[in-house]
Amino acid sequence: MLRGADIVLRCVRAEGVDLVFGYPGGAIMPLYDALEGSGIRHILSRHEQGAVFAAEGYARSTGKTGVAIATSGPGATNLMTGIADAKMDSVPLVCITGQVRSVLIGSDAFQETDVFGMTLSLTKWSRLAKTIEEIPDIIAEGFYWARSGRPGPVVLDFPVDLLKAKVEFKGPSTFLPQAKNTNGHAHPEFWPKLQGMLQAAKKPFILVGAGAKISGATDGLVGLLDALQIPACATVHGLGAIPSEKPYYTGMVGMHGTKASNMALHETDLLLVFGARLDDRVTGEPSRFAPDAKIVHFEIDPAQLDRVRACELPIVGDLKQTVPQFHNEVKHASLPDWSDWRGIACGLERAEVDSRGLAQPAIRFLDALFAEMPDEAFVITDVGQHQMWAAQRYRKNSPRGFITSGGLGAMGFGLPAAIGVQLANPGACVICISGDGGFQMNLQELATVHRLKLPVKNVIIDNKYLGMVRQWQQLFYERNYAETDMSDNPDFVAISKAYGIHAELMGVDAVAGLKVPPSTAKSLARFLQSPEPELLVFECPKEANVYPMVPAGAALSEMVFEEE
Amino acid sequence: MMHLFQIRYKNTQGTFMRILMAASRRGLSMSYVQAMPSGDAFEARLLLDVTEKQSAQLYRDWHATVDVLEVSSMLALEEGWAAGTGSPQDVASPHMPPASVGAIPYNRTAMA
Repeated sequence: MLRGADIVLRCVRAEGVDLVFGYPGGAIMPLYDALEGSGIRHILSRHEQGAVFAAEGYARSTGKTGVAIATSGPGATNLMTGIADAKMDSVPLVCITGQVRSVLIGSDAFQETDVFGMTLSLTKWSRLAKTIEEIPDIIAEGFYWARSGRPGPVVLDFPVDLLKAKVEFKGPSTFLPQAKNTNGHAHPEFWPKLQGMLQAAKKPFILVGAGAKISGATDGLVGLLDALQIPACATVHGLGAIPSEKPYYTGMVGMHGTKASNMALHETDLLLVFGARLDDRVTGEPSRFAPDAKIVHFEIDPAQLDRVRACELPIVGDLKQTVPQFHNEVKHASLPDWSDWRGIACGLERAEVDSRGLAQPAIRFLDALFAEMPDEAFVITDVGQHQMWAAQRYRKNSPRGFITSGGLGAMGFGLPAAIGVQLANPGACVICISGDGGFQMNLQELATVHRLKLPVKNVIIDNKYLGMVRQWQQLFYERNYAETDMSDNPDFVAISKAYGIHAELMGVDAVAGLKVPPSTAKSLARFLQSPEPELLVFECPKEANVYPMVPAGAALSEMVFEEE
Repeated sequence: MMHLFQIRYKNTQGTFMRILMAASRRGLSMSYVQAMPSGDAFEARLLLDVTEKQSAQLYRDWHATVDVLEVSSMLALEEGWAAGTGSPQDVASPHMPPASVGAIPYNRTAMA
């Protein structure tokens, strides 16, 4: 006979999980009581949101399913932002929550919330366990849905009485879906139509999103792109999928994308999309997105098709399967020479970042930092201006190396996600880049970093503003900087030291001049190579902006490069 | 345009709610909702006043919902429905939504 809590952990372990993140509380106590000897390592966060973001970081950097645990009521509600984030960014995540006793459900008991109801619109699948016998089936099905097809979040809610009860355990379950098969190959008739579209195209363009990385299709995709030699860009989540040195690569696309990518996307007459949702930050004004293009959409999730614009040819399937199918056909096909178009789309006139932007201290600092960074490093960002600057300057060719909250844009994501990444990749250089606003949303997780001696390298780009909001206020609200001032920020160095983490301050002088001084490079190298946790505060000019920028409601071709 | 959507689903925890939420998150008022057993599954019927784009979005969201088995729709004749002349079956003629963007993705999805 085993307790429900033991059964939960055995079934979770059977799914290949050996690391979970969480925070204990009343209704989940039986599970914590059963942890020792379960073969599962538990990481104590200092807030449930820290736990769920850390689980996301673990999942995003490995492709494995992240697991977060919380108690009922406030514990569960504190998971919500992370669950929504995982939904938007297709992260395999299983959240296990304790619930009040079965007989009390619906009575507004102490620390009772309707976790199942609250998370219905945030999750891909969820269950409130009603009997101890069904626990193995629930866990097997939950993990299946979290990682199958387009990955996403799952919530499993266990009343505390089920976790305490005992039953004969017959072993973990397996789940095989009967309703739908979400993985697969492209329809065999895709090629004749696609070939005809390629033959007719004068200005083809390729857009690569997170799906290419999630499916593990990046190597195959780069092989395909090498064969096609069609200009190609990446979304913020697609960064790292295409090696930056490829002559056909035009950089990041979207609101703060490169001129080359945005102009090519506006001018193309045939857009091939690989694993991207085409959200509004990528498309600009949807009605003016790629106005002359026919769209071919390679996508595993049919729900993403035609979301912004009707696509002429949807190719539904796992990119791991459909990309090689496409490549095999290309090998035997005679396709047009697009070198003239490639010369325009990738030419010097459309250099990746405007020189005025390159002169900004924050950009120069990030360039200096990334120059010292090993190729296999992980860069995790929070949300805001620093996120876009980092995305613009990231040049490494590591498919899972750039991790950010892109769809939800959840401030506070960076530090806890970096903890998850570092735990999943113990020997790796893990750099967390935050703004002064976002860092303060989850800075309590410095305690987790300190306890575990995780060598996370924390960078705060401190401009003493909620910088991205302030930028919009400057550009679109006549400089009415309403409630974005943070000039009374705390002393981050002192805070870090209070948590037992070495910290330093770096001013703009460190990146002044035409070349970054050797002393700065040396300082950054020491920072990155330290075996200990570190924090570096870079004091950025207060009113620095992210450019280029596509204003809300504008087409991608209408990007601006400075304040008019 | 009034549409009667018919969604076949496995009656597992939350599936019916997820079906309804696809409509409620778009602020659509649900003029008529019915859920009932249908063979070895369940069927939900929703009468909604939707645009072509919303119809297409609903198709996609429902299709992506775990345990939704099949989605179809009928154009409901607004005059008849507004006059309360009978059940939705009486005022609806069976065909796919008029929006090409609504009908095509689902067919394509099924193909692929």
